[in-house]
Amino acid sequence: MRVGGSIIGVVKTKATPNAPIRASIDPKICGESVPDESVIVDAAGSLANVMVTVPGVKATQPAEAMFTNEKCRFVPHVALMRPGGMVKMTSKDATLHTMHAAAADGKAFFNVSLPIPNFSLSRPVDKAGVATLSCSTHTWMRAYLGVTDELTATSAADGKFRLDGVPAGTYQLRVWHEALKIAAAPKVVVKDGETVTIELVLTK
Amino acid sequence: MRAFLIVLSLMLFSASSAAAQDPTPTTVPEMWNSWCARCHGKDGTGKLPDRPVTVEPMDFTQCSLTTPEGDSDWEAVISHGGPAAGLSSQMPGFGDFLKPEQVSEFVSFIRGFCKEKGWPTGNLNLPRPMFAEKAFPENEFILAPVVSHKPDEPVGVAFASIYERRIGKRAQLEAVFPIESVDPGEERNSGVGDVEVGLKFALTPSVSNHLFTVGFDVSMPTGSESKGLGGGQFVFEPYLATATTIGSQTYLQTQFKLELPENESWRDHAFVYNIYLGRDLKLSPSTFTFGFEINGENEEVAVTPQLRKGLSRTGALAGAVGVRLPINHRDEQGVTWVGYLLWEYLEPVRSRR
Repeated sequence: MRVGGSIIGVVKTKATPNAPIRASIDPKICGESVPDESVIVDAAGSLANVMVTVPGVKATQPAEAMFTNEKCRFVPHVALMRPGGMVKMTSKDATLHTMHAAAADGKAFFNVSLPIPNFSLSRPVDKAGVATLSCSTHTWMRAYLGVTDELTATSAADGKFRLDGVPAGTYQLRVWHEALKIAAAPKVVVKDGETVTIELVLTK
Repeated sequence: MRAFLIVLSLMLFSASSAAAQDPTPTTVPEMWNSWCARCHGKDGTGKLPDRPVTVEPMDFTQCSLTTPEGDSDWEAVISHGGPAAGLSSQMPGFGDFLKPEQVSEFVSFIRGFCKEKGWPTGNLNLPRPMFAEKAFPENEFILAPVVSHKPDEPVGVAFASIYERRIGKRAQLEAVFPIESVDPGEERNSGVGDVEVGLKFALTPSVSNHLFTVGFDVSMPTGSESKGLGGGQFVFEPYLATATTIGSQTYLQTQFKLELPENESWRDHAFVYNIYLGRDLKLSPSTFTFGFEINGENEEVAVTPQLRKGLSRTGALAGAVGVRLPINHRDEQGVTWVGYLLWEYLEPVRSRR
């Protein structure tokens, strides 16, 4: 029998996406408006960019996270990385972008400039937690970096996520989203060789 | 040349998208207008109705704000971002993109927003020695404890509060308020010592690596002479102070002073000298500074090794300790432990910006 089990699930919400944000500068590069990516939800109410963590279960996250500044947006919007990993960043825009990475308490990890297209940089982030990435010149730009050595998955565009290799046991999952919240941390019981299916519902 | 080729190749790679966009800036003024002006304004005032940062940028046209600190502080902020000198993290670092000579050019460009002549360069605003008067005019409040011990005499303790206030570009007012505790033989007496007031004036503000300053202190007989707390007369103290940089992290500061007591003849004047050589461990406002001072009065010689440390990332708080060890006339000079805690009290205003 396979040791450990899996948790698969989907994240749902009744929240609706926000209206696009008017780009206050660089309309030639950014467009007149940029999408508000704080709530990415499809027609079925499936919510993307939700981090679901199994507390206490160690897992190897990527050693680096790559972000691109593209039309005054960070791509991707949410990524995962291990503590001590490298944040790699590049810009495709012919304007001054910066990447300002800050911990949840607001303390900056770094703020570096990406002043010309195709210019790339990397910086380490050591502290576990969700780091907020922003741009000092384009104030609407946001991305989030989950820095963790715990088993974590991010919900895809269809709201689905999957966590494999969960040791048998009972867990209270940790759920993070930049704008929405879950009423109570979901409790799951995992058995060896079995897959638990759950649905998470987030609200404003 | 290398930067030019990089920029050229990037322009070629992105020719299609760049065709509809502004050309990539290549000179410091162009970079300022394209990048920095978004927050600092093309005129350097930072007064913009819709700037993207929440902190108010420093007004670079105000010479009192842009001249007091050294180039290394500015270079650190441009290269590594605001936190490198205790400023806002909303200021990004450009050091991965700019070459060191471009960073230096940026410093000169930014200092150019100050249009008034006659402000001494912040490169000569050097760490305060224990005894030598700084040549650079300051806005500082200092607490300076002194513990002195001579053979066969009780320990003397003094605690001076020093207030320094810059006046205009080149002058500084100073007031020293000492509290002393001495035991001249029969009993310990404590109280106010001789209060000093002084004025100094920088003579060579336009010289880049030397600053000569003249000053005049007056020690007033506010302390009780009979209790050993004062000299019992006015003492007039004209002096010359100098500051010289030797490279980027080493410097020489000197002070040569005459002490002319009110009731004594010119021949009874004392000549006081303080010669300080210091070196910063690194280019940071919070670095350690190792210093060595040779000083004395008339034929006396003493040495004062000392250590200073910036206690805040802006360098607005600093502390130092040292010990003055006599080389000759050991009984008369004794051993003196000295220290200070200083607060550059206008710095928090600068730090918020």
